[in-house]
Amino acid sequence: MKVSPPREKGADDVVLALDGVSRVYGTEVEVRALDDVSLDIRAGEFLSIVGPSGSGKSTMLGLLGVLDLPTEGAIRVRGTDVTRLADAERSRLRGEAIGFVFQQFHLIPHLTALGNVETALLYRGLTPRERRTRAMSALEQVGLGERHDHRPVQMSGGEQQRVAIARAISTDPGVVLADEPTGALDSSNAENVMQIFADLQSPERAICIVTHDMHVADATRRRISMLDGRIVADEALNGGSGMGVDS
Amino acid sequence: MRRFRELVGVATAGLTARKVRTLLIMLGPILGVSAIVAAIGINESSKGHLKAKLQELGTDLIVVNASAGFGFGQDPVIEAAAVSRVGRLPDVVAVTGTRQLSDIVTVPFTGAEDYYRAFPVPVIATGPELPDTLEVPMVSGRFLNAFDEESGARVAVIGRDLADEYGYLAGESRTIELNGLEYGVVGVLDWVLLEPSMDSAVFLTFAAAVADWELDDPDPSRLYVRAPTNTAMVAKEIPTVVSLGGPDGANASVPTDLLDAQSQVDESLNNLTKMMGGLALIVGGVGIANVMSISVIQRSSEIGIRRALGHSRGTIAVQFLFEALVVGVFGGILGALVGAGVVWGVAAQRGYTMVLSVAGLAGWALVSVGVAVVAGLYPSSKAARLEPLETLRLG
Repeated sequence: MKVSPPREKGADDVVLALDGVSRVYGTEVEVRALDDVSLDIRAGEFLSIVGPSGSGKSTMLGLLGVLDLPTEGAIRVRGTDVTRLADAERSRLRGEAIGFVFQQFHLIPHLTALGNVETALLYRGLTPRERRTRAMSALEQVGLGERHDHRPVQMSGGEQQRVAIARAISTDPGVVLADEPTGALDSSNAENVMQIFADLQSPERAICIVTHDMHVADATRRRISMLDGRIVADEALNGGSGMGVDS
Repeated sequence: MRRFRELVGVATAGLTARKVRTLLIMLGPILGVSAIVAAIGINESSKGHLKAKLQELGTDLIVVNASAGFGFGQDPVIEAAAVSRVGRLPDVVAVTGTRQLSDIVTVPFTGAEDYYRAFPVPVIATGPELPDTLEVPMVSGRFLNAFDEESGARVAVIGRDLADEYGYLAGESRTIELNGLEYGVVGVLDWVLLEPSMDSAVFLTFAAAVADWELDDPDPSRLYVRAPTNTAMVAKEIPTVVSLGGPDGANASVPTDLLDAQSQVDESLNNLTKMMGGLALIVGGVGIANVMSISVIQRSSEIGIRRALGHSRGTIAVQFLFEALVVGVFGGILGALVGAGVVWGVAAQRGYTMVLSVAGLAGWALVSVGVAVVAGLYPSSKAARLEPLETLRLG
């Protein structure tokens, strides 16, 4: 199944693409978690991937984030097939092109908010001052500039998630992948976080949220529905451009 | 370079975040290095004490004892002519002969006769140069002089211990009774480190010995020879110089040689110490590997997120290797300092001269670094192999 691009755009617009990707787990008993899926994510998109548990959305997230490699098919990050790259190159590309936000925040507990954001900026040839400035500005973007010297344990869940978002955007990635970003938050914090995501949208950056929460998905502008390792729907919402419904 | 600093920063942040654990894994290298440094340092310092004593004594004094020729019934002596021959050797700067007299009971005061008959005080006939040759100063008064020698006056010098035993006060006019003959005490000789028996001896001139004690001739039975240069060679030729191929022999020895041998550091003990310390270091290394492996599991989420943020497997491995390196460096330095402190304490307490090689300290600290890095290899590779997807628990 091929989801056709919603409208004609230059190939440079595609920041992340799955091309006929399958992922099979196990050797004796094969589980096809993802079955021949193709998907293009373009700059400026705000999309969600939804589906019940076991539908393959987590597997898809791992592959989109280049944390995992497909059994078949290609993953292209800015046009480069990462399945052919060595770990060091692949890691570098992941660090440059993709930002992650997780359900459990995954902040490093012994580092301050600033230290956590700075971790994303390590080994990039930046001076300590540049690193600090960029991390501070990312924290200010999520409204936590004042609390840069607080450790994760001193912060609420919502604040921790905002630190995680600051960490994800500090490297100025082409796409931010969020895995159930509101799953561990109460409704007001969840709303706040979704608002931040909406604000972070820009013509250069795509935001992709993986969720099982339809309310969250409804706030985005393109919704991709998954079932049994396949994409079953790709709809535009809120005047968005994601199209090509096909099931 | 910037990358190196960043790695060091990440490693130290990881270590300082868990201070107790870091301290515990540092204990291995600290104990290992300090044990080796302390054991070797104490061993060498105790010898350093002997070496310092050797320095004080000088290693250029030769003792020559007359040995029996074919004569019977008489104590062997070295003839006056032979003594002067020894004195004319090019490297010899001083020669003094001594002869111990027998069957003399020395009594400091009446009533002590029984005691001093049982434990006789040595009575030694000698020349005026003895203090110079032995390089021993006088505690008080003067030594025997040329006038005493010529006149055969009944004067005596006593050793420092004997003076203490007698309750002799400096400058006091006092006599000492030798088999009933009163001798005037003119001085007290300081301790003779190489001949402790002299510390409780009475010294007379040969003239007095011949006049009062039926000595046939003023020939010594022992010579003290000072030869600052070529000491060993001089000691070797003295027997020939004394005997000139005749029957009257002599044995020459350098008493400090024995001390010198004692002062040599016991290599086998040192090796054993090094082996034990090495074993302690290896055990410490196993501890590092153990604790760090557990730490890698506990920090799997951190490792996962770092991988997601673009750090490669290699970077993760180096990060953990750097943690081990920092443990090794600080453990090594602390261990060396603790070891040096122990050596210093023991040396101060026992009055040793502290002997510690800085190169040795640095060397053992380096060994600790090596052990820590090797110990860090397994946990680092384990950290690098972790799959980020498994540790991040997506969805």
